[in-house]
Amino acid sequence: MNAPLKRWLCLGCGFSYDESLGLPEHGLAPGTRWADVPDDWVCPDCGTPKSQFEMVEMGYAEGGADLARIA
Amino acid sequence: MPKSFVLRANERGHDVIYSDGSASSYVAGHPGSYIARDSSFNFHQYQSGRPGFGTVRVFGDEVFNGAGCGYNMHPHHNFIICAFVLEGELTHINTAGRGTVDQLRQGDYYVFSAGSGGKHCELSISPENMNAIYLWLMPGQLYLPPSYHRAHFDIRTRRNRIAQLVGDADGALPVSQDLRVSRLVTDRAGRFTYTPRTPEHGVYVFVAEGGATVNDVALARRDSLGISGVEALAIEAPDSSDIFFVETAMLDDARIRAWEKAHGADLLD
Repeated sequence: MNAPLKRWLCLGCGFSYDESLGLPEHGLAPGTRWADVPDDWVCPDCGTPKSQFEMVEMGYAEGGADLARIA
Repeated sequence: MPKSFVLRANERGHDVIYSDGSASSYVAGHPGSYIARDSSFNFHQYQSGRPGFGTVRVFGDEVFNGAGCGYNMHPHHNFIICAFVLEGELTHINTAGRGTVDQLRQGDYYVFSAGSGGKHCELSISPENMNAIYLWLMPGQLYLPPSYHRAHFDIRTRRNRIAQLVGDADGALPVSQDLRVSRLVTDRAGRFTYTPRTPEHGVYVFVAEGGATVNDVALARRDSLGISGVEALAIEAPDSSDIFFVETAMLDDARIRAWEKAHGADLLD
């Protein structure tokens, strides 16, 4: 399974989850696939449920990936 | 091939959010304040409708009821949030750049690109209720530098023509997305033409006041129409109408496609 790593956007506030970065401060290691994020996980910024995230094919602005890593 | 849908005013998602109980950290103005929100697309509690239109994820018609009512300070990323004040006053405090405290009145509007992160608070502090149209757009890129722009649409000097408020026209507020927002306010009946930049672009037409006939579809107050695959829109507007046009690239979005398949409304296929 070498499917490309994907990015997801919270439809409640715009917070992004990047599979390649994970969210180490919230217990999700870099490389954690969206499918492996627990179903009861909610957006750390606004509490929106996992089901209300949308997969997006969007690049980062310059320097954006570094900022996302520490969001 | 032209494809379209019509959304009547009473078919929108309707939520009333009170400033007490579980929403008290979210809604300001306790006691007695509440926000009435009519959503054209899925948003928060309302999840049984269309997921969006092109790059647009939220089209909200909101009324802040009671002095002090609004949204407490809360965070955003990435989304581009626009507000167009129709009635009352909106005090908008946001952290983009060095931060801004802005007061918007009838005709004023803003474009807040949350990008790499920013917080904002929106309040109606005058005795009158505040009614605004809220638009949330997918950005062109993730984690753009946050930005805030605002302007005024002068109803007295710009009536009886379609004026671009957001986009690439002279004086329009810039946006990092393939999108334009225009507005038509009339004080006499007339015929108008709206021409999207290509037929592949979609146009979401929302009648804020009065009515309109768009490509032979009659729309009443707060009705709307989404259309794509047309060279131009033919609009007949009576006197005293106020009409918004949101033109957007039509993203091939899996959630919208799935919803359309399930509801026999194939705007994308």
